[in-house]
Amino acid sequence: MGSGDEASLVAQTLAGDRTAFGHLVERYAGQARRVAHAVLGDADEADDAAQDGFLSALVKLAQYDARRPFGPWLMRIVANAATDRRRRRHVRRAEPLDPALVGGGPRPDTEAVRSELGERLRAALAELPERRRTAVVLFDVEGYSHAEIAGILGIPEGTVRSEVFHGRRSLRALLADWKGA
Amino acid sequence: MTDERMFDHRPDPELGAALRAALEPPKDDQARFVARVMARYDAALERAAVPTWEVLASWSRRGITAAAAAAVLAGLLLGRALQSPAAPETIDAAMAPASGPGLAALVTAADPPDASVVFTSLVEPQ
Repeated sequence: MGSGDEASLVAQTLAGDRTAFGHLVERYAGQARRVAHAVLGDADEADDAAQDGFLSALVKLAQYDARRPFGPWLMRIVANAATDRRRRRHVRRAEPLDPALVGGGPRPDTEAVRSELGERLRAALAELPERRRTAVVLFDVEGYSHAEIAGILGIPEGTVRSEVFHGRRSLRALLADWKGA
Repeated sequence: MTDERMFDHRPDPELGAALRAALEPPKDDQARFVARVMARYDAALERAAVPTWEVLASWSRRGITAAAAAAVLAGLLLGRALQSPAAPETIDAAMAPASGPGLAALVTAADPPDASVVFTSLVEPQ
């Protein structure tokens, strides 16, 4: 989907076209849920935050500059929604990384084992500072540029590079350990 | 991974795929999520529309109540105005003894009136 197409969908949504908004949600649902999951570390809460993000974006849609890509604009809103939700947490906190999960394990040759790798990665992500893990996910999973991530997170581009570097270092160590086991 | 690789401008496909798998919601779950967001969209639209009518309806209800109260009050005042006797046109008319046993007895008696006569003259309609 090109940016022109997205601009058209945005314009149609602003005109009250429900289907156009539905197309935008379908296109960005996966990305929004993953980014929110990276911020919150909890799939259910991530869905709530992603939903908040979409509805918040709908409210702010008139402010969107159609000359710019829609994805980074939306992801900024979703990331903010997830961060707000995380701040509102009073009781629930990210559980500390289980040391037993960081060690080696069987090769990822079954679904169960791959699921275990996913669990370890999620636990490792939870150990990273929020901004760092969000930057890594936006860069390596969602394919946004450093400049776009800087816009999404509201930080300098150099800081994004540093965050991605440090985040990758931690996660790559886990992945290498897993592969070497 | 070398430091150069970690500073790479390109996404790391291996790490990216592993992270994506770790964060990916179930595939059959996507439609449910989209439906959930669209349901909220519909509810938000409904909420945005309904208050307008509710406000108008409440205004209407208040207006009708106020008008009814004003009509009742006006009716009461009008009724009282119609029931009350006309004001005397002259001083003499106002000072003239009204008909009726109470007041007549008061102004014509040679003896001081007793209390019941005075009371009757006060409460008796003129």
